[in-house]
Amino acid sequence: MSEITLVIDGVECRGEKGDTILEVARKNDIYIPTLCWMEGLTPIGSCRMCVVEVEKNPKLLTACTTPAVQDMRVSTKTEKLKKYRLQILELLFAGRNHFCMFCSQSGDCELQRLAIEHGMDNVRYPFLYESFHNDATDPHIQIDHNRCILCLRCIRVCAEKVGAHTLDLEQRGWGTNIVADLGKKLGESDTCITCGACAQVCPTGTITLRDFVYRGRRNDCDDIVESICPLCSLGCRIKAWVRTGSVVRVEGLSGTSADGGQLCQRGRWELPKSTERDRVTVPMIRTGSTFREASWDEALTLAASKMKGALESGKAAALLSELSTDEELTVMSSFFRDTLKMDKVDGYYGNMLRGFVDGFRPFADQGIRPFTAAHNIASSDAIVLLDANPQEEAPVAASYIRVSTILERAKLVNISTVKNPFEGITDVDIRTTEKEMEDLIRTLRQGVEGQDVPEKLKEAAELLKNAQKPVIVIGSSLASYPSIVTEAVNLAVASGAFFEDGLGVVPMLRASNSLGALNTVTGTKDWLTDSDLDFLYVLSTGMVDEDKRALEAMSRARFVVVHTPFMSHPLVNMADVLLPAPAWYERSGHYCTLEGERRRMNMIVPPKGNVKGLSVIMKDLAAKLGHELAQASAAPCENIYASTAEPVAARTVSMKEEG
Amino acid sequence: MAMYRSHVLICGGTGCVSNGATEVTEAMRKELARRDLTGEVLVVPTGCHGMCEMGPIMVVYPEGTFYSRVTAEDVPEIVEEHIYKGRPVERLMYSGGEEMPTVPHYKDIPFYGKQHRIALKNCGYINPDNIEEYISRGGYEALAKAITSMTPVQVIDELKASGLRGRGGGGFPTGLKWSFCAAAKGDKKYVICNADEGDPGAFMDRSILEGDPHAILEGMLLGAFAMGANEGYIYCRAEYPLAIQRLKTAIEQAENYGLLGENIMDTPFSFTVHVKEGAGAFVCGEETALMASIEGQRGMPRPRPPFPANSGLWGLPTNINNVETWANVAQIIAHGGEWYAAMGTEKSKGTKVFALTGKVKHTGLVEVPMGITLREIIFDIGGGILNDRKFKAVQIGGPSGGCLTEEHLDTPVSYETLTALGAIMGSGGLVVMDEDNCMVDVAKFFLEFTQKESCGKCSPCREGTKHMLLLLNKISEGNGTMEDLETLENLANMVQEMSLCGLGQTAPNPVLTTLRYFRDEYVAHIRDKKCPAGACTALLEYSILQDVCRKCGICARNCPVHCIPGDRTSGYVIETERCIRCGTCFEKCPFGAIEKK
Repeated sequence: MSEITLVIDGVECRGEKGDTILEVARKNDIYIPTLCWMEGLTPIGSCRMCVVEVEKNPKLLTACTTPAVQDMRVSTKTEKLKKYRLQILELLFAGRNHFCMFCSQSGDCELQRLAIEHGMDNVRYPFLYESFHNDATDPHIQIDHNRCILCLRCIRVCAEKVGAHTLDLEQRGWGTNIVADLGKKLGESDTCITCGACAQVCPTGTITLRDFVYRGRRNDCDDIVESICPLCSLGCRIKAWVRTGSVVRVEGLSGTSADGGQLCQRGRWELPKSTERDRVTVPMIRTGSTFREASWDEALTLAASKMKGALESGKAAALLSELSTDEELTVMSSFFRDTLKMDKVDGYYGNMLRGFVDGFRPFADQGIRPFTAAHNIASSDAIVLLDANPQEEAPVAASYIRVSTILERAKLVNISTVKNPFEGITDVDIRTTEKEMEDLIRTLRQGVEGQDVPEKLKEAAELLKNAQKPVIVIGSSLASYPSIVTEAVNLAVASGAFFEDGLGVVPMLRASNSLGALNTVTGTKDWLTDSDLDFLYVLSTGMVDEDKRALEAMSRARFVVVHTPFMSHPLVNMADVLLPAPAWYERSGHYCTLEGERRRMNMIVPPKGNVKGLSVIMKDLAAKLGHELAQASAAPCENIYASTAEPVAARTVSMKEEG
Repeated sequence: MAMYRSHVLICGGTGCVSNGATEVTEAMRKELARRDLTGEVLVVPTGCHGMCEMGPIMVVYPEGTFYSRVTAEDVPEIVEEHIYKGRPVERLMYSGGEEMPTVPHYKDIPFYGKQHRIALKNCGYINPDNIEEYISRGGYEALAKAITSMTPVQVIDELKASGLRGRGGGGFPTGLKWSFCAAAKGDKKYVICNADEGDPGAFMDRSILEGDPHAILEGMLLGAFAMGANEGYIYCRAEYPLAIQRLKTAIEQAENYGLLGENIMDTPFSFTVHVKEGAGAFVCGEETALMASIEGQRGMPRPRPPFPANSGLWGLPTNINNVETWANVAQIIAHGGEWYAAMGTEKSKGTKVFALTGKVKHTGLVEVPMGITLREIIFDIGGGILNDRKFKAVQIGGPSGGCLTEEHLDTPVSYETLTALGAIMGSGGLVVMDEDNCMVDVAKFFLEFTQKESCGKCSPCREGTKHMLLLLNKISEGNGTMEDLETLENLANMVQEMSLCGLGQTAPNPVLTTLRYFRDEYVAHIRDKKCPAGACTALLEYSILQDVCRKCGICARNCPVHCIPGDRTSGYVIETERCIRCGTCFEKCPFGAIEKK
């Protein structure tokens, strides 16, 4: 990248070759008004607000699309430009319904802000009062076309980042309008995944999230905190808006990041909604069918007394959520494993994680990281799905797949025991059974290696052979079969799926800190199903419902301590002692995400009620049991992302020899 | 080819076909068969002769006798008299008024006298569905010359020397454009022929497509050779079914002759071409929108740079030229750039095809050398104003062009002169107007078109043209204020400068030029509430000229709203307040006693 210098408004500005005028101006703190432009989306130069004058060029040029050139002399604030910009704003206001007093986004509207900025104190053109419809067919997202200025941001984010391409235009000229699919209302759309990205980018009050309208106005908020979403293994980075102690809006952090600043439906709605849920605010002890409030000391003393006997008889266990932060997992690990030397410690997803670890082991033993950052799917040219349903397991990864296949023309192969989740954009679709899956993947790998393969695998083999950067996505259900996981990685190795950070494999881990749990709370074997337990400690974040297996274990155990932030049922029904925990938005710490980096979660609002930090509680509990809290033996992220050899050095392993 | 003693050329262009040329051809074939002349006389369906107004047109060779407005019923007489007895049928010949009651020969007709046909060279002479006829007129010679004896650089140099400029409206030097694409890096390049002719009243591209499709193919082949492309698209609007059909036939024939496909003429050069039908959006004539449309996306323009030469169709280097430009290429290569550059003005070389329409005696397609004056086109070629009324203005360049007046008639036509006057060359529409045309109405007509065809992407064009049209409507209905005029002018200037693509940038031209040259008319609409041309219905006032009136009462009987009270003794008066200005009385009055102003 070579540096260029140009003069904008008389100021010498530095930029890089390839920058647009707007990019150079922004780097140099020169303001140019924009409306349709949005960081991370393809600039289209349609609103014409960013027009500038360039010396020796008779035409007005849009700063967002015109490349900056060495020695260019740019004026951004001439009288003519101001006049024209004002005219455009007036025309936009005159066109549809932009009467701010009726709009839920008043005060949080880019159009309104520009009008104020340009001193628009009247509109010279007649208001047209043309009535476009208000699309309220979707239960979550509302599109009031009367407020639309056709900046096309929603269309672009939906196509370029989410890959759904639900939104597009109908009609032309003055009657141009946003539609879903081929002329449907949003609620009738087959392609919309209700992620809310369109509402996030909408500069006016056109697309709004019905649950957060009015109260989610950015300008009314007290605080904005950057954090991450703890709901799945991707750990998408978010910006959370806080108003009177509630999270009222969350957005993806950055349009230029790998995930394009998108969130999935769960992140967009469940995160803010969780701040309104019923909380466990004080320690409680069961009395018959109800609870009574208790002091921390009383609750922990009771817990310790029950635990002591259970420890002696080896009938004490701990079930810990992998949605916890690294720091919490460390405390848990040091308490249960290193202090109490308990062996019945596990996470909710223990079996799944053990399955993946076992399947990955032959490659980890070679010193190679057997998986890659999830966003590399977006830069891949061939994607193989093995019983994976990313839209359920890690929704933003599904966006990567769609963008990659639709926009970048990557090939998509689906091999599954159930219905193909990407019907319509799949190049090869193969249906199989769990029994045959392993053989099928092996045969496919042999095909990639040059051997003859049955007809139904030929196309897939050919496609992988020609691919430069394939990625294999392994569904979480396959973790029950470590040998299939190993074969899947073998397929990646044979296809040359080598990324800088590791092999081109993305396992659909469910919980957000699955990778952090591996060194800390994940046990060596499954005890949950068949244990006869006298004492069970449960740490839940309350963000994901407990599965049947966990609930059954709780109901079998003779004494259960549930440590959770929310009054979520049936979980709290299982408790003999209920301890309040800080909710996700009241905690800080780190997550080892599938995006290949350790990301920080920040406290968004201070904790409510009588909560205590986990280390304090565990120290107390240890003391009551006559122990001192020991150092944790392993840090959560240690070795997880490590690689001692280059991915290209990976060798396939034979399952038969390995046993 | 078999020898025939006579050739009967019958125009097969859309204009003549809709006037019954197909029936004439059928009748001619039948009549010749009946008289057993099939082996002696060949019937050739040709492309457009240009003089569409006089269609169906038939030319009988070897004499070159030009028959106009021929019907199927005339055919037996033509065969009997002309072909059998050698006595041309005078009553079907073109008539040039009293001076020349009958003009037997094609070449003597004033309409053709000042024309110089290059792009239209074969139109009307050959059967467009027969590649051999094209070849017999020197077709594909230029291609052979280029790919066997010239380098791509030489081809481009020849084009640069010719001074040919884009005939689609932009007027960008074609050779220079080609050199950009030729210089662009990439193994795969495209050439595109823009045949999405959408200007109302323009049909030069259609006539070439229908009359001489091989000229376009040869031009594209030469372009592809010069720029290193091996695939091409012809983007033709679906409203031109005949053109599409003829293009497809031409492509098939060229493929069969080894002139398209792999290793053309046994050289390493390969080229394939596809026809892509446009779905009828005017904006798809804009090159970036056109490419988006080919790609299967919504046809909307995008800002340049990047220019198509570097990043065009599917992001690959692409060169787009319009039909007329491509049609000139082969002849430039065949005859040399200097030959072409000898015609025209200093900066505008060669010839230009115009679609001459409006209030002119001879409407049709004319190809004239650059530098000719508008007066020559309208009065010499077009034969002057219909009904010998007074010339008022000429709208040049289609809906994006501007209106020029009497004082501009002697300006030589070139890209620069027209742009300086506020009009554009455009694709070559020429609409002639007389005193009955109201300039506010004309501006409204063209703006209505562009406003409707705006794609809706950029705000100045989408919102600005809408409000401009509202203002024009307001003025033409007599509700305008002088302030509106200023608002209109401000808006027009803004839309012109701020719009994203050519459509928006030129849409205000009709408004701006009429404001510039006919401001009085606008003022009359606003201040006097009068339409001087009597075209704006809302401002018309009908009255009865009492001294001419014979009190017959026909007007009163026919008035649909009964607003002409009176009787046969006291006479009649029109009650203006109730009058709906339908004009029925004006039409029905046998004595011309109704006045409208």
